[in-house]
Amino acid sequence: MEVPAALRYSSDHEWAAMDGAEIRVGITDYAQDALGDVVYVQLPEPGRKVEAGEVIGEVESTKSVSEIYAPVSGTIRSVNTELSDAPEELNQDPYGRGWICVIEPASSGDWDGLLDATAYQALTAG
Amino acid sequence: MTYRSPLHPVHVRLGARFSVFGGWEMPLRYPAGTLAEHRACRDGCAVFDVSHLGSVLVAGEGAYSCLQRTFTNDLGKIEPGRAQYTHLLDPQTASVADDCIIWWESEATFHVMPNAANTSGVVNALSEETSGSEPAHIEDVTSTRAVVAIQGPDARHMLRRLAEQAGSPMEGAPYEVRHLGVAPFRWMGHDALVAGTGYSGEDGVECAIPASVAPGFFESLVGHGCVPAGLAARDTLRLEAGLPLHGHELGPGITPYEAGLSWVVSWEKGPFRGREALDRHRASGIKQSIRGLVATGRQPPRAGDEVRRGDAPGGAGEKLGTVTSGNYSPGLGSGIALALLSKTVMPGERVVALVRGKELPCEVVTPPFVPTGLERAKRSL
Repeated sequence: MEVPAALRYSSDHEWAAMDGAEIRVGITDYAQDALGDVVYVQLPEPGRKVEAGEVIGEVESTKSVSEIYAPVSGTIRSVNTELSDAPEELNQDPYGRGWICVIEPASSGDWDGLLDATAYQALTAG
Repeated sequence: MTYRSPLHPVHVRLGARFSVFGGWEMPLRYPAGTLAEHRACRDGCAVFDVSHLGSVLVAGEGAYSCLQRTFTNDLGKIEPGRAQYTHLLDPQTASVADDCIIWWESEATFHVMPNAANTSGVVNALSEETSGSEPAHIEDVTSTRAVVAIQGPDARHMLRRLAEQAGSPMEGAPYEVRHLGVAPFRWMGHDALVAGTGYSGEDGVECAIPASVAPGFFESLVGHGCVPAGLAARDTLRLEAGLPLHGHELGPGITPYEAGLSWVVSWEKGPFRGREALDRHRASGIKQSIRGLVATGRQPPRAGDEVRRGDAPGGAGEKLGTVTSGNYSPGLGSGIALALLSKTVMPGERVVALVRGKELPCEVVTPPFVPTGLERAKRSL
C-alpha cells in the first residue's frame, strides 16, 4: 500500500498535500483499495466553506458508498471535474490524477493535527 | 459460524478479497476488480464459486410428488435431464420464501438448490410435504460439493478446451449441455453434474463437483483463461439482466405476481404449499410490481431508497414504492435499479429516487437493462 512520505493523512483515509498556501485533498491508496472500483464521485461545490471533519462529498463503488470528509477547515477553491466522467482515476492514481479538491485553509492549525505517513501507516496496518 | 467453500484456499492464492454472504465467507472480488470481472463475463468467460448455494438431495419413489407439493412450478412440464426455476411460498402470506433451481438428474433423483441462507427452511418445507405412505429421502448435501458457475459467450469453448487437452481428467462433454439441461460427467474419476443454468444473463453452465477434487477444477478453468469473478460482479451482472435476488426482489411481502414471475406458478398441477394464500392474493388484486429504473447519470439509486412521482410541480410527488436493488451498470454507463412500485407506474414514466435526501431523476423501464447473451439468443430463434 502506497503512503507517500510528503503527505499528511486523516484517520478517515483522506490525504492532504501542502501546495503553496492551499491544501490538495484526495483519498488514500488504502481507501481506494478497500472501496474497489469507484463508479461515481460527488464533488463539493467550489466556494463552499467547510469545517474539518465535515462531509464534503461521496465516493461510490460497485459495493458501497463512502463519505469524503474535509481534513482541514477552509474554503473549497477548486474541484477535480475530470472525476465526473472518469471516476476510475481514483483507483488508478489516488495521489495524482485522482485528487478530489483544493481547500484554502482557514488556519494552519488543522494541518499540524493531521497524521504523518508513519502514523497513518501504523493506523492502516492494524 | 461462518462457512467456507471447498475452494477457499484457491481464492486466497488468487488474491481474492472476501465478504460474508448468507453465512458464507466468499470471494467478493479478485485483484482485476469487479468491473473487469463483469466485462469478462459479458465478452468472454468468467468463473464463479457459488458453493454457498444449497444442495438438497431429494430422492426415492415419493420425491416427485413431494417436490410438486412443496414448490409452485410444475415438474410435469419438464423431464429427467432438465432443470427448472421454482418458488417456495410462505403458506400464510404467499410471499416467496425462497427461489430455487431444481436439477432433475434421473427418474427419482433431484437436486434442489436454494439460496444460502434459506437451505434449512427449504429442507423443513420438503420434510413437511413428504408423505408417510410414499416417503422421499431428503438430505442437505451442501458440504459434500462445490458449485462452479462458468458464464459468458466463451464458457462452453473454455470447458471444451479443458476436456480436450491431452490427459484431461474430464470424462464426458459437459460443454454440450443444453440451456436448462442437466447431465452427468466425471472429473478426476469422480461423478459430477452440469446444468445449463446461471445468474448472469449470459450463456453458460454450473457444475457440481465433489469437494475433494473441486479445487483442481476451478484452477484448471482459470489456467485455461476463465477470469475468476466474485460475488460483486455476480450482483452487477444479475442486476443488468433484471434477475431477482432473494432478500431484495423476492422475500417477505413480495409474491411471485408482484415480482413479475407469474409463469413460475402452475395452477393446473394440483395442491402446493401457499396455493390458497396466493389465490386470495390474486383475487384481491395485485397492487405493486417490480420495475426497472435507469438513472440519468452514473449515480445509482440504492436498495431502500424511496421512489416518488417525478412530474409533480415544485419537486417530488406521491410515493410510488421503494428501490430493492441498485448499482452502476457497466454496460449502460449509468445507474440502474429494480424497485417495487405501484402497479400503476408504467415503462417510460419519469420518477425520482430519493438518494440520501437528494432527488435522482430516473426513467421507468422493463428489464433487462442491457442486451444480454441469453436475450440475443432468444430473439434469434
